[in-house]
Amino acid sequence: MNAIIALSLFGISNLFLGFLNNRKILLPATLVFILIALGLNFADWNHEYYWFNNMLKTNNLSVNFVTIILLSTFLVVAISRSFGDDDEHSHPAEYYAILLFSAVGAIMMVTFENLIMLFVGLEILSVSMYVLTGSDKRSLRSNEAALKYFLMGSFATGILLFGVALVYGATSSFDIHGIAQGVAKAKEQMGGAYGPLLYSGVILIMVGLLFKISAAPFHFWTPDVYDGAPSIFTAFMSTVVKTAGVAATYRILSISFPSVYGLWGNPLVYIVCATLIIGNITAVYQQSFKRMLAYSSISHAGYLLITVLAKRPETNSSLLFYSLAYAIATITAFAVLMVVSEAQAKNGKADESFEALNGLANNNPLLAFSLTISMLSLAGIPLTAGFFGKFFVFSDAFSNPSSLFKWILVIAILMSTVGIYYYFKPIIAAYMKKGEVAKIELSPLYKFILILTTTLTILLGLAPDLVKNIF
Amino acid sequence: MIPFVFIAFIVLTVISACVVLWSNNVLYAAFSLLLTFFGIAALYVLVGADFIAITQLLVYVGGILVLLLFGVMLTNQNGNKENGKNDIIGTNTNRLIGFAVAFGLFALLFFTFAKANFVNIQSNLFESIETFSTTQNIGVLLMTDFVLPFEVSGVLLMATLIGAAYLSSKTKV
Repeated sequence: MNAIIALSLFGISNLFLGFLNNRKILLPATLVFILIALGLNFADWNHEYYWFNNMLKTNNLSVNFVTIILLSTFLVVAISRSFGDDDEHSHPAEYYAILLFSAVGAIMMVTFENLIMLFVGLEILSVSMYVLTGSDKRSLRSNEAALKYFLMGSFATGILLFGVALVYGATSSFDIHGIAQGVAKAKEQMGGAYGPLLYSGVILIMVGLLFKISAAPFHFWTPDVYDGAPSIFTAFMSTVVKTAGVAATYRILSISFPSVYGLWGNPLVYIVCATLIIGNITAVYQQSFKRMLAYSSISHAGYLLITVLAKRPETNSSLLFYSLAYAIATITAFAVLMVVSEAQAKNGKADESFEALNGLANNNPLLAFSLTISMLSLAGIPLTAGFFGKFFVFSDAFSNPSSLFKWILVIAILMSTVGIYYYFKPIIAAYMKKGEVAKIELSPLYKFILILTTTLTILLGLAPDLVKNIF
Repeated sequence: MIPFVFIAFIVLTVISACVVLWSNNVLYAAFSLLLTFFGIAALYVLVGADFIAITQLLVYVGGILVLLLFGVMLTNQNGNKENGKNDIIGTNTNRLIGFAVAFGLFALLFFTFAKANFVNIQSNLFESIETFSTTQNIGVLLMTDFVLPFEVSGVLLMATLIGAAYLSSKTKV
């Protein structure tokens, strides 16, 4: 909670720092701001607090989610390289301020206790992302992506709001625990059935939230938006927004609607299967590394939803571990993609295809190694964090007594093998294909982040208990 | 009398909304939208939601619609010089998908409300608007129970403001 107040203030102070002529101060200042917010966040550890008349609730689960969100934000800001501080077109102060504000929205989405807070948090996050998607004003693709994202996102928010209103009509509460009581009461009155208001409300809330985490069939905007947005903001979108969205979905489904599992569980089965199949199969056909990562983020939404669907006591920690492993690996991949695509730029346009990676290992061993580890982690190869992420998720599904989960597991495992195929494409390009990438000079911070994320990925793959015990 | 007025405003709202849908002229559609917003505000008044009715008038009719008209007027000064057409006349594409999505949503909401059982809502909750106003309650609640959403809306507005200022600022291309 204190992190929300701190980050809002820091966002504004960032704008004031933008008045200074020295742009170099912005990056370290923002990093320090995020670290302070991270420290304040730990003040809520081991306590269950309700804030402001049950608007927010913090407990260990939410502290862990906030930690992952702030860690991802920290890593994304650290690899932003001051947004090209020599470029007169860039406005780093605004970018950093909006990033901090969107972190506020994301934190509200994982700590909300009242649906109003979910809505406001989601809006803060979405509006920030609409702006950041279109921040490259000279690029037609960036503009197109921003407009698409804005129109689609507004519709999704509207649908979510419809759902909230209908659920309020059915349960006369906005409070997520109050909704659970209302649902139980309504169920009792109607003899185990549920009314149409509740039914439509839950479905519409789910559609609104699943849109934000780009689960199929609400994923159609993802490839274009992720592809068109500047890479740094795509990295932010595919980690922070996804983590917050999945956490919010899990929070509302597991707290408010556990007693009507059939109502949201049955559609979610189809959604999970469709997400896994569409995300993975389409990713195989991509020629662009960035677009492949967009489809990969769709497929990872599918894996995350499996454990939400399994509804086990271990779901909390599996979700956290998977989100952490996925976020670290994705940020590493985007960090490599950003520097390589800029170094390989043709006619002033960054080259984001797989060919740009050809022969990367010859002159840039660190970049190639980080890329390899991150791809292995995303594919779920043992000895990386991604393997244990998938392992925990699959074991949740396996321990659910319903036989349906055996079929979901079959699809999920088949699709992870498909994933291995496309995640190895960049590795093969970097090590085996003939090509020339000039030696890329990296700043010490950039090197440090690459080494840090790579080490973390390997460390969590060797000893998952390090964080699994905390989660 | 009241049912008659109620139905009259519903008819006004629906007809003007249909004009928005079927008119190819953006300006006519915008003016027709004015009537739609106005009709909805009147419906709010009739169901006793006076505060929302005023907000609807202030925000939608006063703010958004004026913005919309400004947008139409500023972007279509002399029509398109290249092909001699007036850009104010829009065209509809992808009608089928739009119709399908809209019809799906309509069907969902229609069946929801048609089948819904509104017994839980106590009728004595609603007093006559002549004696009871929601404005005071909303004001008190916004500053007590719901003060956090009220305050963090400021963050939302701030982010929007920065974004709007940044996106509309001039850059050399």
